[in-house]
Amino acid sequence: MGMAMASGSQTVSLPHRPYSITAGFLSYLVPGLGQIYQGRKGKGILFLVCLLTMFLTGTAMGGWRNVYLPDPEAYPQTIVRLPFAGALELKGPVKALFMRVQYLGQFWIGVAAWPALWQYNELYVPSENANPFLHNLQRFPADENKLNQELTDSDKTPDVAWVLTVIAGVLNILVVYDAYAGPAFLLPIRTAGMALQKEAVA
Amino acid sequence: MVISLVYSATRYDPWGAILVETGRWILRMTTFLGGIGAFLYLLATFI
Repeated sequence: MGMAMASGSQTVSLPHRPYSITAGFLSYLVPGLGQIYQGRKGKGILFLVCLLTMFLTGTAMGGWRNVYLPDPEAYPQTIVRLPFAGALELKGPVKALFMRVQYLGQFWIGVAAWPALWQYNELYVPSENANPFLHNLQRFPADENKLNQELTDSDKTPDVAWVLTVIAGVLNILVVYDAYAGPAFLLPIRTAGMALQKEAVA
Repeated sequence: MVISLVYSATRYDPWGAILVETGRWILRMTTFLGGIGAFLYLLATFI
């Protein structure tokens, strides 16, 4: 640790926070939950409110239809030509992600994007008559071409909407890392005499 | 602003440092967008 004398007080570099897989995983599930678990409640609540609001706002602006993982069988054979590796036919989840790349970003928001995985795996959902919202929540659209045409004909709101959801998910990657390993920069604290200031140890 | 705040909060722990970094990012983005706006305005005016 670095030490320097400065008019009766000292600056002390903080020891690095121990890595915490639990906190990182909790922050993946719900943004900010890992920070709350670690006692950094203010930051945790900030991440929770900001990221979930951003994600849900984006989803709502998109009519609750812009977060989904498509059925790979709904698309024709997809072959990707890779340099030095030849042609590769995409199948299953890889093909689904290739056809809906946005979900690679949206996935990282955590539990809020899990209904798409639930729908992809055709797990139980209420019937459309019983609960149309849950039935269609993050479900692959029955007619994706119709949805694409609606997006083409509309203003830019749906485009902004899915971008918000992807940004929220990608930012949560940084939040997960903050929970796992602490902030990127640890600022040294100035001590009064030899007593450490409490606020420095967050 | 929300994105700047969240990003800055992942860089630092003390709230003072978070808010200072957020302010810096807002300034950078405003300057950048303002520069682009000014350039486009000049382009539209004189060309």
